[in-house]
Amino acid sequence: MSREVEIKLFGAFRQYSPEAAIAVSLPESADVATLRRAFADKLEDDNARALLQSSAFATDEAVLGEGDTVPAGARISILPPVCGG
Amino acid sequence: MTIHVATKDEVLSTEAALAHCSAPGHGAADLFIGRVRDLNQGRQVRAVSYDLHPVLCNNVFREICKEARQEWGESLHFWLEHRQGRLAVGEASVVIAVSSPHRDESFRACRYLVEQMKHRAPIWKQEHYVDGDSEWVKGHALCSHG
Repeated sequence: MSREVEIKLFGAFRQYSPEAAIAVSLPESADVATLRRAFADKLEDDNARALLQSSAFATDEAVLGEGDTVPAGARISILPPVCGG
Repeated sequence: MTIHVATKDEVLSTEAALAHCSAPGHGAADLFIGRVRDLNQGRQVRAVSYDLHPVLCNNVFREICKEARQEWGESLHFWLEHRQGRLAVGEASVVIAVSSPHRDESFRACRYLVEQMKHRAPIWKQEHYVDGDSEWVKGHALCSHG
């Protein structure tokens, strides 16, 4: 069984999709490392793939670790390096 | 509520921040305003566009305030608001305030909120330069994967 997960884009990632989101197909129990590989396959730009290496995946509640399971039904975002203020 | 956090697409109010950070037993209040600067890395800046993740941002802001409250006292009051959207040079992008019985806790807690916000809150800025170019500012990575 696989599922479709939509990843919301923020910051510098926004320039790579006019919809500010990229959908990937994942196995039901996929972890974040699997999500990262699936997301990388969707990127055509070398700069985007480089940015992905220093970016984190998160739900609305918390940043996810590489070994965490991608939660079913949660909104997932990709967060490039941050710089508020 | 002694903790107030928000993200806004309108002008931030320092008066509201100081009104919130006030109590009969508080002899000190510290106010920090972050503003858009006209020069960065040698380039003339005309404006900055702030992008943020509103829900996660508010969660992180609240978490940071709770950490400061645990460190410097339960009675402290906290205010943390950040702008989103395009801001011109001189406009306030962030307003942070803390009040406490004595000045030392306010100074320390306010500094803590500023530094933690910059390193942990999901906020991004795109600088717009006088020469017409725009660039996303490099920041602090939130991930620690190999």
